[in-house]
Amino acid sequence: MTEKQLSATEQLMEQEADSLARAAIGAPKQPRSSLGRRVRSTVSAYGFLLPAIALVITFFIIPGILLIILSFTNLSSANFTEPWEFIGFANFERLFTDPFFPKILRNTVFYVFTTLIFFNLGLALVLALVTTNIPRRRGFFFRLVWLLPRLTPSVVYILMWKRIGSADPFGIYNQFMPEVLGASGGNLFLGGAPWAFVILTNGFVGASFGMIIFTSALMSIPEDLITAAKVDGASTWRIIRDIKLPLIKWPLLFIATYQTLSLLTSFEYILLLTEGGPGLFTTEVWALTAYKRAFSSYFGNSQWAFGATWAIVLVAVALVMAVLYVKIFKFNELVEEPRIENL
Amino acid sequence: MGSGKTGRFFSYAFLTLSIVPILVGYTWLVIATVSTRTRGLLPINAEGGIGGLTLGNWSFVFESAIWSAMLNSLLIAVAMVIGVGIASTSGGYALSRFKFPGRKGFLTGTLVLHAFKAEMLLIAIFFVLRWLGEIPLIGPYIGFNSVGGVALVMVALELPLGIWLMKGFFDNISWDMERAAMIDGAGRFRVWWQIMLPQVRPGIAALALFTFIAGWNAYLVPFTFTIGTKVANMPVYLNQLISDTAPVNWNQVAAVGLFQMIPLIIFFIFTQELLLNIYAGGSKGT
Amino acid sequence: MRVELENLSKAWDGVVGADRITLDIADGEFVAFLGPSGCGKTTTLLMVAGIYKPSGGTIKFDGHVVNEVAPKDRGIGMVFQSYALYPHMTVFGNISYPLRIQKVNKTEIKERVQKVADMMGIGDLLDRKIVQLSGGQQQRVSLGRALVKEPQLLLFDEPLSNLDARLRLTMRGEIKRLQEEMGITAIYVTHDQVEAMTMADRIAVMSGGVLQAYDVPTDLYEHPKTQFVAGFVGNPPMNFFDVEIVAMDGEFRAKSGSIDLALPRDRAEKAAAAGKDKLIMGVRPEDIYLVDDAEPAAPGRTLTAAIEVVEPLGREDLLGVTVNDVEMRVLVDKTKGAAVGDNVDLVFDMSSVQFFDPETEQSVLWT
Repeated sequence: MTEKQLSATEQLMEQEADSLARAAIGAPKQPRSSLGRRVRSTVSAYGFLLPAIALVITFFIIPGILLIILSFTNLSSANFTEPWEFIGFANFERLFTDPFFPKILRNTVFYVFTTLIFFNLGLALVLALVTTNIPRRRGFFFRLVWLLPRLTPSVVYILMWKRIGSADPFGIYNQFMPEVLGASGGNLFLGGAPWAFVILTNGFVGASFGMIIFTSALMSIPEDLITAAKVDGASTWRIIRDIKLPLIKWPLLFIATYQTLSLLTSFEYILLLTEGGPGLFTTEVWALTAYKRAFSSYFGNSQWAFGATWAIVLVAVALVMAVLYVKIFKFNELVEEPRIENL
Repeated sequence: MGSGKTGRFFSYAFLTLSIVPILVGYTWLVIATVSTRTRGLLPINAEGGIGGLTLGNWSFVFESAIWSAMLNSLLIAVAMVIGVGIASTSGGYALSRFKFPGRKGFLTGTLVLHAFKAEMLLIAIFFVLRWLGEIPLIGPYIGFNSVGGVALVMVALELPLGIWLMKGFFDNISWDMERAAMIDGAGRFRVWWQIMLPQVRPGIAALALFTFIAGWNAYLVPFTFTIGTKVANMPVYLNQLISDTAPVNWNQVAAVGLFQMIPLIIFFIFTQELLLNIYAGGSKGT
Repeated sequence: MRVELENLSKAWDGVVGADRITLDIADGEFVAFLGPSGCGKTTTLLMVAGIYKPSGGTIKFDGHVVNEVAPKDRGIGMVFQSYALYPHMTVFGNISYPLRIQKVNKTEIKERVQKVADMMGIGDLLDRKIVQLSGGQQQRVSLGRALVKEPQLLLFDEPLSNLDARLRLTMRGEIKRLQEEMGITAIYVTHDQVEAMTMADRIAVMSGGVLQAYDVPTDLYEHPKTQFVAGFVGNPPMNFFDVEIVAMDGEFRAKSGSIDLALPRDRAEKAAAAGKDKLIMGVRPEDIYLVDDAEPAAPGRTLTAAIEVVEPLGREDLLGVTVNDVEMRVLVDKTKGAAVGDNVDLVFDMSSVQFFDPETEQSVLWT
């Protein structure tokens, strides 16, 4: 008997025995074995996860591995058709000895921390405090307006900022107050104040996330606590310092780490606004360098391998931070054990 | 701030001042779409005086390029809603309610990926898409330089957030209801489809809205993985207008920009509360 | 259906939910699982339902091991504390759901649902949404859904806890009546001893995952086998005292610092036979009386106490009193007009006194 036939016969026999037994004793249907059950339960869990797993493998795991491999090759659009080869750590050497490497590193650190402190964290906190301290509907209105930049397509959003910062006679900023920032009528984002514009564009989107998180944290502080403090004679400032801030410590830390990671790896607005300019690498950050090396014809050649090298360093840093952040916030402990056990 | 009158005044003064750049930006966008030229926020006519209002900037609606871009945007957005919807509602359910080997690892992985911005992987995804394009028959629809390929990548990038969001919604459903359904004779798939999914409809709506907006606004992924105008979506098409070597007609660009914001404006007006919630929700797992 | 649990256990990562539960339920019997929250009663019920997988032991339905049988194949119906109704379906949708899954034909579904709904008194609510119903109506729907598939075993998980007191009383009677009429075996989990005492044929008292006692209600009250059962069954709870039993002038007395009470011979002899120096004596609050002026104090059964607390319970007063630092609760008629600060003489009715071994907490009277 072939294997197929065998298993079919087996199945039939089992079914027969099963139904016989049931007929004889009127007992409920008996499953085959405990092991079979457990396997089936696992299989059904993975069945539900199948679409997600397929996508994660195709677009996270394989690219992750690929990125590592790429960084050790010399693959670029120039030799795409020819056989490329492994070149060891040459890409990494080239990266760290790049004349603009110190500048890009400084830019990245400056960009991430300035935006984080002044906008994603600082302004976000102030906005949350102020909008929760005025009548509900009005606070809601201001938060809603602050959500607009996040909702706007990046291309349109940057288009607006470009017009705000354009040179005379188009620029809105130049129309109203040209003397501040010392732009004197010139283009601001590609001239007078590129960093200010890079940070403003990112900050106006970044601040709303923290604002929303802090707002919900502030709103969940029991009203009694604030009333008690007021009865004790605390001023508004003291209430913020002694009660509100300590109670939203975790959301603050959460936003700080989450946004650091986010700022470190995103570059879309800078790409659209200045492309790292004006001039050479003025506002170029690490993530943008990786992208441009790999994809833009800036240097007449898509240096995929070299771009991948820049990217993999950043991915490594980001992954370490992401893991730390999951650990710090003990997200794992929030995970509840399932309360149905598939038999 | 504070409860006093001066505190009130400073609160409103600060908030109003803070939204000036946002309001100025949108004001310009709206004015520019109906002006021949603008100087700052003012519409300017041919003689340099104030005036020169026109609807000419909207003539692009008679060109086929915009409708092809719009169709592509719509395809990406809808594909994302469906793709992220299916993968997140099923995956989120498994992670929320099943005990299976690897559950902890998968949950941690999802969390890490959620915090981790995947833009850095685009270089490698480029090659994955080229390989997908080699697949016989379906390759051209899901590979490099196809709307399907862009949608697939976008679905994957939004997936960690989607799974985490939906897991949070499933976590909040009573275990008793699921137990009742199992005792009533339902298997896990039926429980998911007939009992659980109807309970998380608000979550599905939030996720759908969120992914639709993400898909509609997508720029970086379609820009990186498409070439030319045929597969361009709205943001890419708009950017092509801006970076044309010919002098840019800013007023027409503004009109195209406003045009592509129409669905967003509708969402903004009718789903305010939901929007504020979903942009906070995904990050906390609730 | 006959249900037998043998050494049924459940543990999660070292935390024990149920510890070697062994009991049997006769066909058509109504059994209550009674205990404080976290005692393992719901865990045991969920194992019987097939929602939890036992870590050890067996569950038998009519003599057949069902450990590995899926919930849907066990022939059970279950009613939950939270009702667990499907809010997106109508009343009809909820009750008919088990039948629709079994692909019963439409006319039969209609008939059976209508019959069950009429029986539950919700026959005219079938088109309503769940949210439009009151708590009592929702619980009737839930009961209807459990009954419509004609189960051989009904499981109740604190079904009345979310209802108000009056409704609870009505539903109690109704559930009991239905169960008796239909002759379905039932397991009823509750922390409310009144519910358990009035409804169940037998009660399984549980604590810390362990089955403490399994008996008919009157036996639990009159012959508690452990100190836990004695303290848990009966409201207000039994008073416990550390005493020695002393034989004096042909009479047995229970003695400690401030207590000296004569004991009925039969119980005292049994207790003394245990050969322990110290015993825990239990006296129920309702077995202690205020001395009536009309009635002379009974010699050897009277103690003088100071009233510390008076809790009016309506028809009766619950007194917290001390007899030279020994605290106890006494249930007295309202008419006595007891007041805080009064010194009163208490008469102890010792005919139903209980004794427990202080180490094992087992009764020395009943085994």
